[in-house]
Amino acid sequence: MLKIKNLDATIDNKHILKGLNLNIKPGEVHAIMGPNGSGKSTLANVLSGKNGYETKGDIQFNGENLNELSTEERAQKGIFLAFQYPLEIPGVNTNIFLKTSLNAVRKAKGERELDTLTFLKLIKEKASELGIDEKFLSRQLNVGFSGGEKKKNEILQMKLLEPKLSILDETDSGLDIDALRIVADGVNSYKNKDNAFLIITHYQRLLDYIKPDFIHVLSNGKIVKTGDADLGIQLEKTGYTSLS
Amino acid sequence: MQQFYDFKIEKIKNLSSEEKILRKKNLELFYLNGFPSKKDEDWKFTDLKFILGQNFTNIVNTDLIPKERPYKLINDFEHNFISLVNGKLITKSFDYEEKDKIFISNFDYKNEIISHRENTLNFLNNALAQDGFSLEISKNYKLKKPLVIYNHFSNSLKETIVNNKNSIILNENSELTLINFVDNNSEENFMVNTMEDIKLKKNSSLKKFFINNTKNNAYFYKYLKNDLEKNSNLENYILSSGLKLNKLDIEVNHNEEFSNSCIFSALNLLNSEHQEIKTRINHNAPNCHSYQKIKNVLNNESKGVYQGKIFVKNIAQKTDAYQLSRALILDDKAEFDAKPELEIYADDVKCSHGSTSGSIDLDSIHYLKSRGIPEKEAYQMLINGFLCEVLEKLNENNLKKFLLQKLEDQIHGH
Repeated sequence: MLKIKNLDATIDNKHILKGLNLNIKPGEVHAIMGPNGSGKSTLANVLSGKNGYETKGDIQFNGENLNELSTEERAQKGIFLAFQYPLEIPGVNTNIFLKTSLNAVRKAKGERELDTLTFLKLIKEKASELGIDEKFLSRQLNVGFSGGEKKKNEILQMKLLEPKLSILDETDSGLDIDALRIVADGVNSYKNKDNAFLIITHYQRLLDYIKPDFIHVLSNGKIVKTGDADLGIQLEKTGYTSLS
Repeated sequence: MQQFYDFKIEKIKNLSSEEKILRKKNLELFYLNGFPSKKDEDWKFTDLKFILGQNFTNIVNTDLIPKERPYKLINDFEHNFISLVNGKLITKSFDYEEKDKIFISNFDYKNEIISHRENTLNFLNNALAQDGFSLEISKNYKLKKPLVIYNHFSNSLKETIVNNKNSIILNENSELTLINFVDNNSEENFMVNTMEDIKLKKNSSLKKFFINNTKNNAYFYKYLKNDLEKNSNLENYILSSGLKLNKLDIEVNHNEEFSNSCIFSALNLLNSEHQEIKTRINHNAPNCHSYQKIKNVLNNESKGVYQGKIFVKNIAQKTDAYQLSRALILDDKAEFDAKPELEIYADDVKCSHGSTSGSIDLDSIHYLKSRGIPEKEAYQMLINGFLCEVLEKLNENNLKKFLLQKLEDQIHGH
């Protein structure tokens, strides 16, 4: 599904990713761990198509060259990034945002756009699965939401848009145990043999709930070690310094 | 600069000799300095003399007799209406109301006097004004439905100026929602210079909206004088995008205790559109509250201006006055000028002002795009969100829906 070959990324003359390789197949859950400043969020940003990065290397997503696609095209083709810091957007109603987003993706896929009633029924159902109060959906997007509410809202968007590849950028940060479980349940219930996850995290904590098939350690812009789920537990004990 | 205007009192019919003398005097005062220019402090961001000189060859006052034109009524909400052509009252319809509670007529130049002398446009208005309306709401009467004023202009107004005066009086404990709806798609250049006096008696409440429906080549100036008695309430919403030029000069006098005023504006200016909102809020009595929120989105080479002054008299203790202007500047050639001013002579007051301008937040754009929303739509969503916020407090559902739609039309360039 996703094939990254020799990816380099530079921003503001800072060389951050230095020859990163990664292969993700459908049905797999990959976790990327690593110390602060190792390039984890840069990888997420580059995959989402954020402006400002100078990149070299090759990224293929289902056979298409990702570098040639705009951010919105990537989303329409099934790449979803759950933001580390979801943005607050004053004046934009959450429901209207969700509907616009869903219909943009449906339209790009050649599917029928949903009318308001059908949409509201669908969103109500998805929100209740995540324990999100409907009232949130009529508020301004993320404005005044707590950290946990923002992250739940990201998972709601993921479940609504049904992406092929979901990238979770430190979705666990700022979550209490209950919220963490709800978010993890949300991910686990969406997981199937056709979609894949790339989970970026500092801590083993989230991986206790979402079991990864692979754990990669990112250090100084490169993957320096790859292992199975046990690698996370080992890192929790020894720290990252033991690897470098 | 070559003189680009030629005004004649003789074009106005049925004047008494007394009126003629008064009007001539005002015209002379106008001719001393002509149109206001950037040399005048109040006009330093809107150099009207220069702008008109660039866009008109010879402006004259009109002796055209306005005729009714066919027009479409708004059907999004039930309403009473009057229609004006070139400012002249043509039709009136108050089907939802008790007829004897509402007085509406042509402005009576022989008996009513509105004569401000703030600037040369006021002189010009005093000299040339014709038509306009007087509206008065009876004591204790609250209109059941809003009143829409349909403003139309003749196609043949090219290179002319229309001057008129309006008067609105809300007697004690009365209520009115008034929508000033400008519907004109004339490509011809013309100017409108209006003076409007508004009197809010005790416990009365006026909600006013100014909406411009289609893009046009009109140059508008309006001087609004609002006098507020005890416990009265005035709300102004300005959604006038699409006019070539618009300057609103709003004077609000809190003359008695516990009166309340707000001014909200949401403008999305395109091309070389230029709009200025100038306010002077006079807190002449204690315990009054004033609130201003001015929002501009500036595209292309457009220009937005806000000059807001709050004056608090020494006896006006416990005044609560607030003003905020925010601008989104989307183009290098677009401009926003803000001049907030506070002049306070009382010591127990709460007054604050703020002004910010900047470009659109690219991280927010990225966020929306990462959800599959195309870039253009992402921009429009953010602009829409930025501007719609000023309508947030409205609770009239159908009217609010209509206003939000109009605002969206304006954001999409009509």
